[in-house]
Amino acid sequence: MAAARVVITGVGIVNGAVVGDSAALGAFLAAPRPAPGMAPGAVGRLAAGAFAGLVDAQDARRLSRVCQLSIAAAKLAMRESGVDAARGLGLVLGTEFGDLSSTHVFADGFLERGAAGLSPLLFPNTVMNTMAATTAIATGARELALTLNAPTVAGELAVARAAAAVAAGEVPAVLAGGVEEIDPVVERELPALGFGRETLGEGAAFLVLETPASAAARGATILGEVSGASWRALPTRPWGVGRQRVSRAIEAALGAAGLEAGDVGAVYGSASGDRARDTWEAHVLASALGPDAPPVASLARLLGRHAGLGVLRVAAAAWTARSGLLPAADEPATRLTRVPARPGLVHGLARGGAHVALVVSAA
Amino acid sequence: MKRVVVTGLGAATPFGLGVKAYWSGLANGVCAIRPLTVIETDTFRSRIGGEVPETPGGSSRRTRADRLAIAAVDEALSDAALGTRDRADTALVVGAVGGGMLEAESWYWAAARGQRGRAVPALRSVLPCAHAEALSARFRLGGPRHSVVTACSSGAVAVAEAASLIRAGVVDTAVAGGVDAITRICFMGFNALKLLDPTPCRPFDRNRRGMSMGEGAGFVVLEDATRARERGARVHAELAGHGMTTDAYHVTAPEPEGDGMARAMRAALAQGGTPASAVQYANAHGTGTPQNDRVEARALARVFGEGALLVSSTKSMIGHTMAAAGSLEAIATILALGHGVVPPTANLDTPDPDVAFDCVARVPRETPIDCAISNSFGFGGQNVTLLFRRG
Repeated sequence: MAAARVVITGVGIVNGAVVGDSAALGAFLAAPRPAPGMAPGAVGRLAAGAFAGLVDAQDARRLSRVCQLSIAAAKLAMRESGVDAARGLGLVLGTEFGDLSSTHVFADGFLERGAAGLSPLLFPNTVMNTMAATTAIATGARELALTLNAPTVAGELAVARAAAAVAAGEVPAVLAGGVEEIDPVVERELPALGFGRETLGEGAAFLVLETPASAAARGATILGEVSGASWRALPTRPWGVGRQRVSRAIEAALGAAGLEAGDVGAVYGSASGDRARDTWEAHVLASALGPDAPPVASLARLLGRHAGLGVLRVAAAAWTARSGLLPAADEPATRLTRVPARPGLVHGLARGGAHVALVVSAA
Repeated sequence: MKRVVVTGLGAATPFGLGVKAYWSGLANGVCAIRPLTVIETDTFRSRIGGEVPETPGGSSRRTRADRLAIAAVDEALSDAALGTRDRADTALVVGAVGGGMLEAESWYWAAARGQRGRAVPALRSVLPCAHAEALSARFRLGGPRHSVVTACSSGAVAVAEAASLIRAGVVDTAVAGGVDAITRICFMGFNALKLLDPTPCRPFDRNRRGMSMGEGAGFVVLEDATRARERGARVHAELAGHGMTTDAYHVTAPEPEGDGMARAMRAALAQGGTPASAVQYANAHGTGTPQNDRVEARALARVFGEGALLVSSTKSMIGHTMAAAGSLEAIATILALGHGVVPPTANLDTPDPDVAFDCVARVPRETPIDCAISNSFGFGGQNVTLLFRRG
């Protein structure tokens, strides 16, 4: 059975610079500026109230902040798409740290008051699928629901896995997203963890992926197409940066899209200020795309690295394929580059070797 | 559609290291739930669990969970006779929940007492994906790799995910399974929810009082059937189908009618082209909590009809091994098919009259089985069913 085509019909984003759907993203990309607090080596925290009104009052009272973030972005994507969960909706969510903040609060309860200090309400949040579970409840997604855990590339990995589910006919439509909040303990230990000059952020982003036929049946606007997706592991030690430059993920994603390296008009990479990892990714991209490689953008300097950013970059690549505009990766961050309106490559490479490539085209 | 077969098995369980020890315990109905030693249990209602009795070797810098996983994957790869060259294109899917939490807790507890410790190893290994990174590096697995967290169904979801990669033609071979070590957070959490039985759990018993915790690792090697045949691999069983659904109902409680569970079972049967009447054995999720067992029995009855199949719970012998449960129970199901023996439900003295199945109380049952399912359900209503046929 031939794989089905996979299109994007909804975008939902909540971060320090963008709260909204594909139109809000387009407005941001057309005049890019850093979210508040973004600087090398800094953590850009999402302002309180950034997603007020996007979650039900009851959810806002009882759910953790990171669960609310996830629900807010997912609902925005569903609203734009108009997809009907009752017709079969899956959910794939990527995250690096999950709800680690709740885990600390839960543990602190015990450390301060013993067994009497343990909160049965908090315990489910210590399991990393809590955001997917609450988002599935809020959106009515009742088919497969996966939480994928990976450093750096969790968001784009979620989109790649979700696209595979639609292409294989596992589900008619999928919410594919990424979500992250920065836990205070992690933030405190960042320098020791070796994040260096990396720019970290918070936020969530979701896409609705489905087949063109499913979208056409309700007259949904197609915002872009995921025409190839692949993920692999490059050899390295845990948390390490490797030396292998040959990317089978990029090769496989281009192959699935029926494209050659020279067909790629622009690249959205995962560079975020981690010098060793950024250099490795640059070598991998150069090896895959050749000496005439297209320009590479990274939005991490504007929005901070977080799992939602990987998803946002897929939506951004669809915007670039439509508009022929690419936010420049170098300083000043607000510059736009004109690129051929051709399919783009979204690429992510993590310490530890997790490696994702997606080819994104205009509809 | 490509057929998927199981060619390698590996386990680290409360019965010890290795599949042989695992099956010996299961086939004799031994309960390995004992007082816990790896964590402090003072002041808690339940102080028992299924603990792996021997710590696998390897670097002491690795977490306990990583060492359990490495032992199980090493055994599975050897069992499948999968060489170094094959591994370069082999996928790895790991189901995980706790990651290196046990070691991170030690650091965090010490810090709370004002003692300085090294945060870096603790925080780098705490994420569930740390296992996949360790396994990938240790065994040079270079295919697609991802880590799934679906709470207590994580191990089974990992097996289903690997099967999907093979069915889609992305890879010919995959290593998949789940791992978890007992952690304080998890033990305290289930205690706080009052879900732990102070005595070894009694799934499907009228007087059941909750679950018992456990730990372990279970991994399988899955292969495209054609490729397995070409290289002369021994086939343990065929993974004929799987189904994954979500309740979208409640974060901890299952949907009371078992609709999501039943949909997962039906999806597995549909993918395997198998009628419900062909299934002879269900390795149940069977936690021992009053609510879960009741809802699972209801869902089984909706799909298979009352009394139509044998049902048993592996958790009655090794406890609930969290992310490892789904894959260890898949291995138990495969071994049951291979040996023609249904492992019993240990500690089952008074069958619950609301559970309309023969739950194989205490004593294993010798009977030829050609087709069986393994159910796994997790917090958040994450349901998965794996359908196996005898190899």
